[in-house]
Amino acid sequence: MPFLLEKGIIILINIIGGTMEHHIQNKIYHVEILPPKQAVTIEKLHEGLKRFAAKYNRVMEDGRCACITDNAMGLLAFQGTEVIEELKLKVNPEQVMIHLNTFHTKENLDEILNSCISLGIKYLLVISGDGSDRLPKLQPSDVGAVGVEAVTSVELTQYILREYPGKFVIGVAFNPYEPAEHEFEKLDRKIAAGSTFIVTQPIIEQNAVIDQMLKDYPNMPTIVEAWMSKKLSLLSDAVGYEIPEDTIFDPITTLGKLHELYPNCGVYLSLLGFKYQINKIEGLWK
Amino acid sequence: MKIVVCIKQVPATTDAKIDPVTKRIIREGVKAELNPFDTYAVEEAVKLRKRFGGEVVTLSMGPPSAVNSLRETVSVGADKAILLSDRALGGSDTWATSYALSKAIDKIGDVDLVLCGKQAVDGDTAQVGPGIAAHLNWMQATYVNSVDDVTEKSLKVKRMHEDGYDICELQLPAVITVVKGINIPRVPTLRGRLASEGEEIPTWSATDIGADPEKIGLMASPTRVVKTNPPPARQSSTIKINGSPEKCAKDLVRELRLRSIL
Repeated sequence: MPFLLEKGIIILINIIGGTMEHHIQNKIYHVEILPPKQAVTIEKLHEGLKRFAAKYNRVMEDGRCACITDNAMGLLAFQGTEVIEELKLKVNPEQVMIHLNTFHTKENLDEILNSCISLGIKYLLVISGDGSDRLPKLQPSDVGAVGVEAVTSVELTQYILREYPGKFVIGVAFNPYEPAEHEFEKLDRKIAAGSTFIVTQPIIEQNAVIDQMLKDYPNMPTIVEAWMSKKLSLLSDAVGYEIPEDTIFDPITTLGKLHELYPNCGVYLSLLGFKYQINKIEGLWK
Repeated sequence: MKIVVCIKQVPATTDAKIDPVTKRIIREGVKAELNPFDTYAVEEAVKLRKRFGGEVVTLSMGPPSAVNSLRETVSVGADKAILLSDRALGGSDTWATSYALSKAIDKIGDVDLVLCGKQAVDGDTAQVGPGIAAHLNWMQATYVNSVDDVTEKSLKVKRMHEDGYDICELQLPAVITVVKGINIPRVPTLRGRLASEGEEIPTWSATDIGADPEKIGLMASPTRVVKTNPPPARQSSTIKINGSPEKCAKDLVRELRLRSIL
């Protein structure tokens, strides 16, 4: 079906079995947006909401896909769905993806999913997520999981697809910095649970584990995450080793290289700068 | 059931600095947040109101900025909030603070239950809750991790201690301080947070609550901090797990569970 963007560009979407394939075919960047944090003054919250709206609208206008995080790094933030509802932002189902992790109450989880349905949001990136003392963790009984001690993205995916059939297209995370054997075993279970696309952890160069994954799962639409912050040291936690703070890093050049290295993958832009970088990525994905 | 929850705004840091002269925590320039333990008290109060009806009032003694933490409690379900703020209250220790809070609770009137977090993460004294009970001459239970069998006149609580727990029955009105295992505090919604901004939060002075000037503030505080030391750094250690992969995995899970990581 044709997908009409605001700028008047018509993109033909090839939704085969409800996958993300057409985002890759049509070179649609996935742009991460963080909702405002909880622990701020009301003035800062209003500023944060304004910033969120500006970023979201820009992503929509550019025909890209807004990917809204869920308490990223365990830091309490407002839910993407409630921010969209409160700000009455326009939702194009093809241009919004919500992250959803396992740190919710059952009630809260269902509220989020029902909000997604009423807003028309269908893309979910289901992840185990980072917890904190302030975040509740879903229990196996909440999602009807039997024989497991904890809810992971596998059980959450199964729950969503079982309880909300036909409503969501679910993607999962792939972490090339974890022991590969374990990560591939997990990926098998995620796919068996019903996930239909993959988003990797941030990379800045060719990654052998991702190369192996692309070889082993050739039909799985894969989106590689490009690190867009100049502060490469912030990636230390993800990669599992210390990156010196003074490391010089050029995200735009690196993004260009990633396109060359992974021409058949989509790209997720984490921590993209909306002041300067967003204009520089135009035309980079050839 | 009318429930008052006493809350405190604390520095949002694990690296609190002490003024070498006044021996007090330096709060200037440090972000503030609702004392994490108090979030459990607020949640328990909201849950009790849902089950038994009534009203939840949150109360805080502190600087005008403490109104932000009070608003947070409204955004997660408190019916109203009151700030107790007055220069005359400045420098109060836990005894004078609990006196002032008990006077405010008196002024609120017809209170059945006072809930507090087990302690504030800045002072770590765990004295204000018991102090309020002492000033009001009410029954109290500390380190509570469940509240059951609530009637109009009494309730039962499970009170945690090093060797297990006690089940105590308290006649109402009473004061209880709660531990974090008691519930999972709800996270404020955006709608709740924005709505709380419209909530009028009255500020009461020492005069408003009828506090005896001789019993509040620095001069009325018997505590004297003569010396402060940072707590010793936490010991880190490495444990080597030996055995078959199955046994190693089992032992690792056990160790992680013992440390509440899993």
